[in-house]
Amino acid sequence: MLDLVAYGAFFLTIALTYAVICLGLNVQWGQTGLFNVGVAGFVAVGAYTSAILTTPATADRFGGFDLPIVVGWLGGGLASAFVTFLLGALTLRLRSDYLAIATFGAAVVIQLCMLNLVPLTGGPFGIGFIPRPFGGLAGDALAFGLANFAVLAVLVLVVYIVLERLVRSPWGRVLRAIREDETAARGLGKNPVRYRLEAFAIGGFVMGLGGAAQAHFIGFIAPDNYLPILTFQVWAMLIVGGSGNMRGAILGAVLVWGIWAISGSVVSAVFPADQQARAAALQIVLIGVALCVVLLVRPRGILGEVRVVSRHLLRDARPSVSAKERSDNA
Amino acid sequence: MSSAVLSTQALISGYEPDMPIINGVDLTVSDGEFVVLLGPNGAGKSTLVKTIAGLVPVHSGRVTLKGNDITEVPPHRKLAHGLAFVPQTENIFATMTIRENLQLAAQVLDRPRRAARIDALLDMFPDLGSRPGARAGALSGGQRQMLAVARALIIEPSVLILDEPSAGLSPKVVTEVFAQLRRINAAGVTTVLVEQNVKAGLQIATRGVILVEGRIAHDAPAEQLLGDPVVSQLYLGGTPKELA
Amino acid sequence: MTPQALMDGLIAGSMIGLGAIGITLTYAILRFANFAHGELLSWGAYLAMTASGVIGFAVPQLTVPVGPFSFGWSLPLAGILAMALTALLALVVDRALFGRLRARGSAVIILVMASFGAALALRNLLEFLYTSQPGYYTRALQISKPIIDGMRATPDQLLVLALAAVAVVAVHLMLTRSAAGRSMRAVAENPHLSAITGVDVRAVIRTVWILGAVLACLAGIMSGLLVQIRPQMGHDLLLPLFAAAILGGIGSVPGAMLAGLIVGLAEAMTVQVIGAEWRAAVSFVILVAVLLLRPQGLFGRVR
Repeated sequence: MLDLVAYGAFFLTIALTYAVICLGLNVQWGQTGLFNVGVAGFVAVGAYTSAILTTPATADRFGGFDLPIVVGWLGGGLASAFVTFLLGALTLRLRSDYLAIATFGAAVVIQLCMLNLVPLTGGPFGIGFIPRPFGGLAGDALAFGLANFAVLAVLVLVVYIVLERLVRSPWGRVLRAIREDETAARGLGKNPVRYRLEAFAIGGFVMGLGGAAQAHFIGFIAPDNYLPILTFQVWAMLIVGGSGNMRGAILGAVLVWGIWAISGSVVSAVFPADQQARAAALQIVLIGVALCVVLLVRPRGILGEVRVVSRHLLRDARPSVSAKERSDNA
Repeated sequence: MSSAVLSTQALISGYEPDMPIINGVDLTVSDGEFVVLLGPNGAGKSTLVKTIAGLVPVHSGRVTLKGNDITEVPPHRKLAHGLAFVPQTENIFATMTIRENLQLAAQVLDRPRRAARIDALLDMFPDLGSRPGARAGALSGGQRQMLAVARALIIEPSVLILDEPSAGLSPKVVTEVFAQLRRINAAGVTTVLVEQNVKAGLQIATRGVILVEGRIAHDAPAEQLLGDPVVSQLYLGGTPKELA
Repeated sequence: MTPQALMDGLIAGSMIGLGAIGITLTYAILRFANFAHGELLSWGAYLAMTASGVIGFAVPQLTVPVGPFSFGWSLPLAGILAMALTALLALVVDRALFGRLRARGSAVIILVMASFGAALALRNLLEFLYTSQPGYYTRALQISKPIIDGMRATPDQLLVLALAAVAVVAVHLMLTRSAAGRSMRAVAENPHLSAITGVDVRAVIRTVWILGAVLACLAGIMSGLLVQIRPQMGHDLLLPLFAAAILGGIGSVPGAMLAGLIVGLAEAMTVQVIGAEWRAAVSFVILVAVLLLRPQGLFGRVR
C-alpha cells in the first residue's frame, strides 16, 4: 500500500514537471498563438543550465558551481527565456510559420550542442549527480516521494497563479486585444510584435523552469531525454487539455503522461523484447494520428472550454473571406 | 423587349451565416443593358456583385445566367456560363506579363480559339498591345484596369461585372476607362458596374439601381434617376438643409 | 575547400535542392510550411526499395547492374512506381487532413501543426513497418573514379547530379512555359483572382502535391542510393530543406535549387573545417542569417 502511494507520488511528480512545461507552452500557443516546435530544446536549455549551476565541481567538466537549487531553477528559466527571446526577435516580425521553422532548427542545434559541447554538457553521457530537493530523505522512499511531490505541487501552483494574474493583467488584456484584432490594437499604439515577443519569452522561461525542475527530480540528464518526441508529448498534453486553458494544461499533462506511461508498460509487457521498438513506434503513430484527428474534430481540445487560439487567427486564412476583403466591401 | 441575361431572385447573402449583408435582392439585367449599382457606403453593392461571382456565400435565393441556375457553381466554372468579374483591387497578376495574364484567362477557352482571342484583345487595347511582354505590375493604374477588363473579356462574356473600377484613379483616367466601358457595352456586352460616383455612373449607364442596406431602393432608367430631385438631393451632393 | 569537398557538397546539395523545390512550391501555393515533406522523401525511398525488391524477385535478371552503375533496371522501374505511390500518399494525406482544414478556413498555423502530427505518424509508421535498421537498394560496392585532380566520384553520384539537373530544368520549364505552370504561379500570387479567372484551384493544389511528392521521392531514392535508407532520413533533411527554400525565396524553383547547392556546399565545408558533428547546425546558421539579412530570400518577392 505504501509502495503504491510512493509510486503514485513519483508518477504525479513527473507529471507535474510536464504540467509546468505545458503551462509555458500555453502562454505561447494558447494565449498568443505562437507555434513552438522546439519545446524539447528549450526544456533542455533549462535542465542543463540548472544542472551546471547546481552540481558539485567536476574535474572534466565546466561548471559545477554547487549553487542552491532555487538559483539553478531560476537560471534555467532565464537561460531558456533568453534563447526564446532571441528566436522570437528574429522571426516574430516575419511570417507566422517562420517561428515554427526557427524553433524546429533551434531544437536541432541545441541537441547538437548537448552532444558535442562535451566540456560543458558531458556529451552523450550527460550530467549526473544533479542535487535533488530533500536528498537527505532519499533513504525513506515514501517521505522522499511525498516531499518531492509537495515541491512540484507548490511550483505548479505558483506558476499557475502568476500566469493567471498575468493573463488578467492589463498586459494580458493587450495580448488578447492583439489576438482578437491586431489592426485595432495597432491603432491604439500597441506594438503586437513586442507583446508577442514578451509572451514567447515568458513561455520560454516557464518551459526552462519546468525542464530544470524535471532534471533535479530525475537526477540525471542526457541528450536522449530531449528528443523531438518530448516536444510532441507536451503538445499532446496541451491539446488534450484545451489550449488557452491553464487548468486544462495541467490536467492534460497528468492525463497524457498517465496514458503514455500505461501504454508504454503495456507495450513492454505484451511485446517480445525484439519487437518493442516497433511497438513503441506504433504508439507514436497512434498519437500522431490522434493529434490530427483532434485538430479536425475538436480543435478546441478534448477538455477545452476556453476558446482556442483566436477567432482572428482562424479568420485570417479562410480562403473566401479575408478580413481585408471585408473592409474592401463598400 | 430583350431577354434577361442575369437575374437574382430573393437573394440573401453575407460572409457570416447569421449576418446577411444582401437582404433579398431581385434584380434582372437584360441583354445589352449597362446597369450601374449605386448606393451609400456599406449598402452592399460590392457584396452583391461578389455574391453573383461566387465569392460570398449565398444564404438563400438564386442567381441565374441565361436561364441557368449558377448559384452553386464554383467561381472558376462560372466563366463557362459566360460570367466575367473584375474585382476592385488586385485584379491582375502583377508578377506575370500582360500576355501571360491574357493567356491564363484564355485557358478556359477551346485551344483553337485562344490565340485569336488574345490577339483580338491586344488589338482592342493598344496600350497593352504595344508591349505584351511588359510585367503587369509595372503598369499605371488605368492600364491595370484596362488589363483587368481585357482579361475578363477574353471569354466573350454574356455579362461583364466590374466592382468599382474607378477607385484610386485620377478623374482623367476614370473618363478614359468609362469611355472604354461604354464602347464595350455598345459592342453588345451586357455590363454591370459598381460605382461610388452617382453622377458619373448614371451618365454612362442605361439604368441605375440604388441599393440601401442590402435592398434595392430605386431601380429606373439612368436619365430618369439623373433628373429625379429626390435622388439628386440624396445622392448627388444635396445637403439635408436643401431637403428641408 | 578541396575539390573533393566541392563534389560532396554538390551531391548533397542537389538532393537538398530537389526536396526544397517541393517545399517551396507547397509553401507558395498552399501557404504553409509543411513539416511532413521530409516524410515524403523517406516514404519514396522505402516504397522504391520494396518495389525494387519485388521486381527483382519476380525477374531476377533485372537486378544485374546496368553499365557502370551499382543497380539493375529494377531500381529505375521501382522508382517510377514509387513516385506514383508517393504522389498518391501526398494526395491521400491532403484529402484526409489538409484539404479539410483548408475547407474550414483554418489558420496557417493549424495546418503547420497538422503537418507536424502527420510527419510524426508517417515517420513512425515507416519505423514500425521497416524497423530502424538501415536498408539499401544494392549491396554492390562502387569504386569512385578520379574526375579531375583531387576529385573523385562514383558513377552513381554522377548520375544523381545529372538527374537532379534534368529535374530542375524540367520543373522550371513547366512552371514558366506550360499552362499548368501558369496556373500554379497564378494561384501562388492570388488564389481568389485565379478562381475568377477560371483556374481550378483544387486541381492546381493536386498538381502541386503530385509534383512535390515526385521530386521528394526522387530525392529520397537518390539519398537512399548514395547513403542509406532510414525512417529518419527525411526528418534529418527537413531543416536543410527549409533553409534552402527560404534562402532561395519562397516560390522560386531556381532559387530553391541554387540554395540547396549552397546549403550542401556549406555543409561539406563545415565537415572539412570544423567537423562532421556540427554538420546539422549549418542549415540553422544559414536560416538565421537569411531571416536577419534578407527574409525574402535570394529570389523572393517582399511580402
